[in-house]
Amino acid sequence: MEQSTPKRASAFTIRMNKLKTYFSKPHNVILLLMGIVLSFTTIAPIVAIVQDTFAIHPGTIDAHLTGQSSGYTLVNYTDLFTSRLAGTNLWTPLGNTILLAVGTCVVAILFGGIMAFLVTRTDLAWKQYLSSIFIFPYIMPQWTLAVVWQHLFNSNAITGTSNGLLASLFGITMPLWWCKGIFPSVVVLGLHYAPFAYILIGGIFRNMDANLEEAATILDTPKWKIMTRVTLPMVKPAILSTILLVFGSAMGSYPVPHYLGLSTLATKYVSMNSKYTGEASILAIIMMVFGVAIMLLNQLSLTSRKNYTTVSGKSGQISKIRLGKAGRYIIALILVVLTFFTSIFPIISFAFETFLPNPGDYSFLYTGDVSNLTTKWWITAENVTENGMYGQMGILYNNTIWTAFKGTMLVSVACALLAGTIGTLIGYAVSKSRRSKWTNYVNSVAFLPYLMPSIAVGVAFFVLFSNKYINLFNTYTLLIIVGTVKYIPFASRSSLNSMLQLSGEIEESAIILNIPWIKRMTRIIIPIQKSSILSGYLLPFMTCLRELSLFMLLCVQGFILSTTLDYFDEMGLYAFSSGINLILIVTILVCNTIVNKVTGASLDKGIGG
Amino acid sequence: MKKLVSIILAAVMCLSIAACGGGSGSGAGGNTPQGGSEDGATLSAVQKIIAEAEGMTLEELAKKAIEESNGKMFYGVGNSSRGKSALPKFIAYLQTIDPNYNMTFEWQQPKNNKIFDQLTADSQKDTGTFAMTLIQDGNQIESKMVKTGILDTFIPKDWAEANGTTADKYEGYLALQTLNKVFMYNCTGSKTYDNVWDFVAEGEHGLYMDIDSEIVGKNFLYMLTRDDYATWLKEAYDALSADEKAYFTPVIDSMKQEAKDLGLGDNGAYALAWIKLWVGSYNAVTDDGPICTTLVDASATDQFGLLVYSKLRSVEETASSSVNNIHVAAYDDGYTGIGGFGYCHYLFVTDNSPLPWTACAFIAYMTCTADGFSAWGKDMGGYSSNPKVAAENEATYNHQKGGTAEDGTVTFPAKNDRGYDWWTTTGKLVLEDPSYCADVAFTVGSWIEILDKYSAG
Repeated sequence: MEQSTPKRASAFTIRMNKLKTYFSKPHNVILLLMGIVLSFTTIAPIVAIVQDTFAIHPGTIDAHLTGQSSGYTLVNYTDLFTSRLAGTNLWTPLGNTILLAVGTCVVAILFGGIMAFLVTRTDLAWKQYLSSIFIFPYIMPQWTLAVVWQHLFNSNAITGTSNGLLASLFGITMPLWWCKGIFPSVVVLGLHYAPFAYILIGGIFRNMDANLEEAATILDTPKWKIMTRVTLPMVKPAILSTILLVFGSAMGSYPVPHYLGLSTLATKYVSMNSKYTGEASILAIIMMVFGVAIMLLNQLSLTSRKNYTTVSGKSGQISKIRLGKAGRYIIALILVVLTFFTSIFPIISFAFETFLPNPGDYSFLYTGDVSNLTTKWWITAENVTENGMYGQMGILYNNTIWTAFKGTMLVSVACALLAGTIGTLIGYAVSKSRRSKWTNYVNSVAFLPYLMPSIAVGVAFFVLFSNKYINLFNTYTLLIIVGTVKYIPFASRSSLNSMLQLSGEIEESAIILNIPWIKRMTRIIIPIQKSSILSGYLLPFMTCLRELSLFMLLCVQGFILSTTLDYFDEMGLYAFSSGINLILIVTILVCNTIVNKVTGASLDKGIGG
Repeated sequence: MKKLVSIILAAVMCLSIAACGGGSGSGAGGNTPQGGSEDGATLSAVQKIIAEAEGMTLEELAKKAIEESNGKMFYGVGNSSRGKSALPKFIAYLQTIDPNYNMTFEWQQPKNNKIFDQLTADSQKDTGTFAMTLIQDGNQIESKMVKTGILDTFIPKDWAEANGTTADKYEGYLALQTLNKVFMYNCTGSKTYDNVWDFVAEGEHGLYMDIDSEIVGKNFLYMLTRDDYATWLKEAYDALSADEKAYFTPVIDSMKQEAKDLGLGDNGAYALAWIKLWVGSYNAVTDDGPICTTLVDASATDQFGLLVYSKLRSVEETASSSVNNIHVAAYDDGYTGIGGFGYCHYLFVTDNSPLPWTACAFIAYMTCTADGFSAWGKDMGGYSSNPKVAAENEATYNHQKGGTAEDGTVTFPAKNDRGYDWWTTTGKLVLEDPSYCADVAFTVGSWIEILDKYSAG
């Protein structure tokens, strides 16, 4: 009897089967697709900008030094690093940029962290109000606080301008270092990003296990030691996450240092671009290198799991520190006053500004005469007669503003939907396959654009999409692509964190029941973590609404609201920029409220709100 | 992970280096002039149309435009937002010839010098998006736009005739208008500025748009080094008292060698000294708008600035703000020296214009008719390059009496615009010359960049 020997599968069949098995898992398909797409959207702009540093640009320094009008050269590098202008064009702005980024992180972490601690770990009064109001500076475009700062503190005697509010009303003149330069830039950006620290650190404070602190208390450990040895190490991941997110953002901020007279790499890029185009691109590369360096440092200092986690425990036993009967109100009052100046006063100031007869003309305040107020900035319906409107129509009739508003909504909604969906899928796929190197690559490459300064990302995409074959300058397509790439991390991080909290058994039981992947996602996974996932849509939406540094080089003013707002601010037409600010704030609040009512998700939810 | 990042970075560098060896032809740096030379044989398609158009009247051009652009989209780009107001008037004009004519349009106004990048990027297409442009900064126009063949000059026949020339004989670019930036100071205190050197005296900090953000401001400084303007500075210096001279003389002396090295004329040292003191003292502001609202405020005692004259038009009189809180320095009796700076808004057809006939007709309409110019002409401080249009515009808007009430009382002296002729002679307006600016951009320009700038922060 002949015995049949089992057939051995060929190597090809084995490979095919392995491939089949690999692609039968949806998260692998997602990882492969996203890896390819994100590699292109991240690496291609970098390649384009690196190429630009070697290119000769007609009418600029490289053409002058090489005597050629086209081709490639190294002269941009040698000139930037070794010429007599190296100090002015590179080293001083670089030093200022690092100072600004570090200072912003410190202010944001201190202010946001203390606020988070008080709201989550103490019996502070009026928590709900304070929690909601604290995130306002993040809602507003960052430079608007800089403009408010100028309106408050400028004076004829010190800044050589007309008097601001303090000097006009009380004769108080602040010193120069207070009015311009690094100090106000750090404070303004720090206040803007403090809600970031508040949300991240607050999330951990709220969920952290209080048993450790209680154990230390029982062992009679001094309070300062508990803070430094127990509490702070527990919030370390959140602090590092804040640094990770804020450092790159502060570094690439253009408008705040621009308005407050600080020379940084971002402001230098803009000022050098006309005559030193190639050298300006090198500045953008330097900013990008910082982004990559931060990511690598972060990889070295922590494991990826801890890295971006905002929820480290599930203890429900949070013991609240008692501030005392009077203390809880006194501290709350101090915070109410502080947040009044950072959140409420700017809004009042914006509203007031739209009724001033001339920009910055506070005659009404010291005369009390209502004839020194006007509604012209709102209701003027024509621009033929000279109405002291600088050729513009009132806000309600201003076609430029409302077209820009529509553009902004289109870009924000599209970016939120795309970034939110792609980010959620990446978060899901990464959580399913954490040990693979490809997963780590996709995870990192998706996060990299966020760590790169916005202005540098904008420059890179401008260079990439301004050529003979693809010319997308001033199109919504370009803005949506850039916004999506930049804001995917908002969704991928929030999705990853929430997916990691989800036990694998839930999906496994659905797999056993043969439930298709789409159904598993839409019926089980997303509904369970809808709050975190929605914040992955909400954050890109809100950030896109008032983003300037990322988009300013990609479109003309009047295309979207932030560039229009910046245009009016630069022109000194503060009534229009203030009106736009109000429109933005109202839009964000309405959207936040709708999302909150419909889904229960909101930006400060889970902390004190 | 680290390996992967290294691979990415290495790939980036390799691709860049590969790109470097890839020769020119793509990317901003690889741009080669697309326009042909002016010698007829190598004229580009648009240049051929321009050559033909230069022999036509406005009406003939209008008929060509109607034929070309009826029902189409017209894209224009410019440093002035008023192009958007001029286009509907142009369409209305074409409709007087053909009532069925219609054209949609979009007018873009890029910021931060982006117009040059935008036009450069657009020039790389076979057929561009933009039909024409209205652009400022003669220096960059010369070096980045004209020498590279991206923009073509079109001289309308009617405009040439009004200026007593022909398109063939005329050299230079077509200016829509000249705008002036003038020295103004807050007069609520006792201080006066009666000499251009007073603006750079010890402790003075004039308000001025940063020369890095508005490049035409840098062109003003370049122009000061030209022999005729440097001579104006020397003459103003000579008019100072010995006490006043004491502060400036050492600076001027220290600039003599620099002036020689930079190849400047005999009075170049006076120009360099003034520039050095100005760059080292001016207080940078984001725009002329805030400078104006600052200066007209009663609290800005003794402050001064160099800003666009037309900004005064929009000041609303209140308890603290008034046009009467400022003086235009050049209007003061006894003022000596330069009164300000004049620069142009130039008009060009793009060398790959999708609608070249329409672009030519629109340009002719703006430069040859008062209606076409009215989007700019209604404001003081902007002077049409067409003398006929300028006269008609003045008759309509009466800017020279802009600050005078109907009964003849002068209510706002600063708003009585003395006009282009006065400014360019008695008012000693320094006028931008694109060729000169481009020539000295990397000599005087590079020298300016190494000067210590004043920083209020």
